[in-house]
Amino acid sequence: MTDPIRTELIKHRLASIAEEMGVRLQRAAYSPNIKERRDFSCAVFDACGRLVAQAAHIPVHLGAMPLSVQACLQAHTLMPGDVMIVNDPYHGGTHLPDITLVSPVFDDEREPASLLGFVANRAHHADIGGMTPGSMPLSQEVYQEGLIVPPVKLVQGGVLNEQLWTLLLANVRTPVERAGDLRAQLAANRTGQSRLQALADRIGCARLREDMDEVLRYSERLTRRLLATLPEGVYRFEDVMDDDGIEDEPARIAVTLHLRGDEALVDFSGTARQRRGCINAVYPITLAATAYVFRCVLGMDVPANSGCMVPITVQAPEGSLVHAKPPAAVVGGNVETAQRIVDVLLGAFAQACPDRIPAASQGTMNNVAIGGWDPLREQPFAYYETIGGGAGASPTAPGTSAIQTHMTNTMNTPIEALEYAYPLRVHRYALRPNSGGSGRWTGGDGICRELVFLCPATVTILSDRRTRGPYGLAGGGSGQPGRNRLVCSDGTIRELPGKCQLSVDAGNVLVIETPGGGGYGSLE
Amino acid sequence: MTPYPADERFRIGIDIGGTFTDFVFYRETENCIRTFKVLSTPSNPAEGVVAGMAMLPQVERATLVHGSTVATNALLERKGAKTAFLTTAGFRDLLLIGRQTRIDMYDLVARRAQPLVPPELCYEITERLDHRGQVITPLNESELDGIIDSLRQQAVEAVAVVLLFSFVNPIHEQAVAQRLREAGWFVTASHEVLPEFREYERASTTVVNAYVSPILNRYLADLDARLPIENFHILQSNGGRMSVVQARTQGVRSIMSGPAGGVVGARYVASQAGYEHLVTFDMGGTSTDVSLVWDSIPVTTETVVDGLPIRVPVIDLHTIGSGGGSVAWVDAGGVLRVGPQSAGAQPGPVCYGQGGLHPTVTDANVVLGRVPADGFLGGTMSLDRTSADAAIRRLGEALGLSSSSGLSIEQVTAQGVLDIVNVQMERALRVMTVERGYDPRDCVLVSFGGAGGVHAAELARHLRIPTVLIPPYAATLSALGMLAADVRWDDVQTIMLPGETAFVELERRAKPLIERGWMVLREQGIDMSRGHVWCELDIRYAGQSFELAVPFTAAFREEFDRIHEARYGYCQPSAPVDIVNLRVRAVGVQEPPPIAKREPASSPDPSSALWTRRPVVFETVVESVPHYRGAALRPGHRLVGPAVVVHDDTTILVGPSDRATVDPVGNLLIEVGTHD
Repeated sequence: MTDPIRTELIKHRLASIAEEMGVRLQRAAYSPNIKERRDFSCAVFDACGRLVAQAAHIPVHLGAMPLSVQACLQAHTLMPGDVMIVNDPYHGGTHLPDITLVSPVFDDEREPASLLGFVANRAHHADIGGMTPGSMPLSQEVYQEGLIVPPVKLVQGGVLNEQLWTLLLANVRTPVERAGDLRAQLAANRTGQSRLQALADRIGCARLREDMDEVLRYSERLTRRLLATLPEGVYRFEDVMDDDGIEDEPARIAVTLHLRGDEALVDFSGTARQRRGCINAVYPITLAATAYVFRCVLGMDVPANSGCMVPITVQAPEGSLVHAKPPAAVVGGNVETAQRIVDVLLGAFAQACPDRIPAASQGTMNNVAIGGWDPLREQPFAYYETIGGGAGASPTAPGTSAIQTHMTNTMNTPIEALEYAYPLRVHRYALRPNSGGSGRWTGGDGICRELVFLCPATVTILSDRRTRGPYGLAGGGSGQPGRNRLVCSDGTIRELPGKCQLSVDAGNVLVIETPGGGGYGSLE
Repeated sequence: MTPYPADERFRIGIDIGGTFTDFVFYRETENCIRTFKVLSTPSNPAEGVVAGMAMLPQVERATLVHGSTVATNALLERKGAKTAFLTTAGFRDLLLIGRQTRIDMYDLVARRAQPLVPPELCYEITERLDHRGQVITPLNESELDGIIDSLRQQAVEAVAVVLLFSFVNPIHEQAVAQRLREAGWFVTASHEVLPEFREYERASTTVVNAYVSPILNRYLADLDARLPIENFHILQSNGGRMSVVQARTQGVRSIMSGPAGGVVGARYVASQAGYEHLVTFDMGGTSTDVSLVWDSIPVTTETVVDGLPIRVPVIDLHTIGSGGGSVAWVDAGGVLRVGPQSAGAQPGPVCYGQGGLHPTVTDANVVLGRVPADGFLGGTMSLDRTSADAAIRRLGEALGLSSSSGLSIEQVTAQGVLDIVNVQMERALRVMTVERGYDPRDCVLVSFGGAGGVHAAELARHLRIPTVLIPPYAATLSALGMLAADVRWDDVQTIMLPGETAFVELERRAKPLIERGWMVLREQGIDMSRGHVWCELDIRYAGQSFELAVPFTAAFREEFDRIHEARYGYCQPSAPVDIVNLRVRAVGVQEPPPIAKREPASSPDPSSALWTRRPVVFETVVESVPHYRGAALRPGHRLVGPAVVVHDDTTILVGPSDRATVDPVGNLLIEVGTHD
């Protein structure tokens, strides 16, 4: 029976555990990506591996982490003092740089110890080996992307597996930084464990289990109630990725959204087969993108847990772009295809509830990785950034300009920080005028970013929406597609494809113009 | 430390609140502190100050410290000066782009805080320096003519000038600022307010300063004209005071002046009672502020006010949107929720009888007898308990609750409301203690908000904080803080040098900053014997983006590793480091006035202060609980819980397993029992 007070109390208590894990991880982490850009998530799971609370940091992690816990549970029997590690996209992971640590939590007071649940955290590591520094390569199979770690025990019975640790660190470019970040991840799980145990001491194991069940039912109940308010029907939408970086051919993502009573079926049938290039998304990405869209559309003041997804079924054909099978390359699925999955699902929702869905946002993360030898500082350098763009106009307002949208929300690197650290100079960082789609409400403008290279370097660009702009809605125009160019010292301009790797010389200028958002409503 | 000069013998602290302007004054000859309040005059706060000052003698010889919310309100209400922004060519949209993040990740419409300067008032000028401060593109001064024309047409009042790498070499910013000042504008150049790297945060801070300073300036000029006070100070956001002369061009430093006063006051009261580690808990009607004082006033340079980063040192507070006025409601999933909506002061909780229909935390306290309906505001305002009961009962019915264990449905529901608000408060307290690596068991909880007294002991119990201190001056604590505030000046300069840099070079770089620190102190009448100026270094491992403050000694490298180990649990003595910033702190230590001892009680028995006995609900039992008049309690009185202490402005609950004593100056010290 529902206890309306206990449910609210457990919600706060579990959320507080996840948040405290996050603070611990951020404090102890070594790399700027975790410490400053906060590219990590922490979560608490029940004894069945269902997510009961998550400190929401990164949308792409939401909805995907339970699959990592499930994969660990399937792979091994977990005992007190164990910690599992996993990044294998084909066994519960998403892409290789995202490393997840899962720890079971037992009530140690009892004999035999009884399982209370799990705590887990996922962090994006700046390098996990593979073809290029930063591990975001234009790969053609997953093996090129770095070290694959299937679910294995990093810690067994409280003892660190030194051999595994050594193997891991031998396969990455920055082992000291990786070791620091992994230790921080271990510490975060320890914090979560002791907090969950303390909570069990305070309210009792049996009640903790009941309360976890109830908070899941509560989220499910709220989600069903909100789903039931949506107009029943079948809504279809499709859009494409420009190309996969290998073959210059668009890749379609299609979705059929079935809204029926208090349930939803999201069917990605009709989506292109998986591709040779790195834009393939594994199923957890598709699930995460779907979870994100439902959370936004339902305007959910609902605890983010597995209960939210119970009434929502996600079907993605195996071997397709949205449910890739080994050995497909997947590194871009996380950062680029995830954005398009959001776009198509929102496109379908726009037919169901046109009053609340905005036009498409930039639909890419504009990943730029630069590496080489810095002659001034006499050391190698590797730099990675994502660039914001235009947000789609909504039914009631213009789109916001120059902002991170949908599946990412990471900060930029300050220009002054960048120029202190790397042989680069930012020549311009500004709005890209008139790049938002036209309409009653115009789409947000993209960004124009110009980087001057002060020494030769290798550049990898992973971007999309370079041939087709983000769609407008209700008669609104599309946003301008993005554009990548290299301006050479002699003034010649070289147009660059959306996904490419190139060598540049000192004095070259890389000009990235990010897409504008779609417009909303026709211009009278 | 030598005594203060003559003008420090009479000190006045003033804190302007929404309803009252609090005055606290101290006269050395009387050796006691007095307080009084006058009605605030929101349309022109100076009126209330002048009215209050008229009630004091000898004002021309006083030192006056003023907590000013003028700058804060100008910012929050977006009523600052019409401000323009001028930056390096190519970066006109710097304020708009910010860090390119959105506020709420799950909002379908991506939003960010609106910049204070609209796009049409953002200008750029041709010039560029590199990270070493070398000129790559010279300043094109002729472009200023057109900009000046445009600024005139737009009737701009203030200009923020933020050029890239100006903190390394301010030559271009100085030239631009000078031209604009000659042309008559209030100008803030970024190197003057925050010579620190990270252009967006520096720009945001500079713009806030340009936006609020003219408003603060007008207010201070008005006050100055009407009150001939020579020694006039403003409380800064860092908990220290600064002279009015500085405040006029550095308004951004006073943005958090109000809350800073409360923390300084709490620290002062706790320290006089012998506690140096405290958690401050200021639970008001709509929000609650928590901070941790571990020996010194905690400051941060990471503050964001209303979405705008402000990088000058600001008191480190955690604020949550829950308080006594938070509304309890049933959500779509049938679960009891508390807040974030608040009934505010108008209409207020149901029990205020001012038309409030939604039950609040205060109503729950009234239902359970924890706040007596007829003791509110010293009995001048009686609370409508019947309406509170009815509103909470309706809430319970909507939740499907029923009476149980001898408790009525409204009592069961009210208990739930309090459990939920307490779990929210507990989270806030954990953020500032456990999550920062501090053990609450080593702290005293200082509660001074109007709504906090009934919750403090229970929260302390959950966090295992052994003692709660509730000062008798709760309502005027902020003004009291003004009397205890040190003169303080924080300065920073980004230097970005490698860890191998010789210490003599660092000393050479520090010299002008130290001299400026002394100059600031001297301007405020503080000489070498009473002042203290020292440096710190912000250091990080190369490649990281978080710096730690390290003492300024030749062994800074070892110190950095030691501090890193203590803070983050590991260190890397062989890894290269960056010396990012040089910080200078100048402090003129204020001898805080002693708080006068009160006449002690003749015996520990508090029955002389007993007002009444009433039933109060604890968990599942209803007990008859003695209620004491706070004003009648005397030092030495001992209370055995359960007990309720009723003050004019707050009610304090001593739980069934708690004990409480009144200390010599009138603080109520609750020794927290372990029983849940």
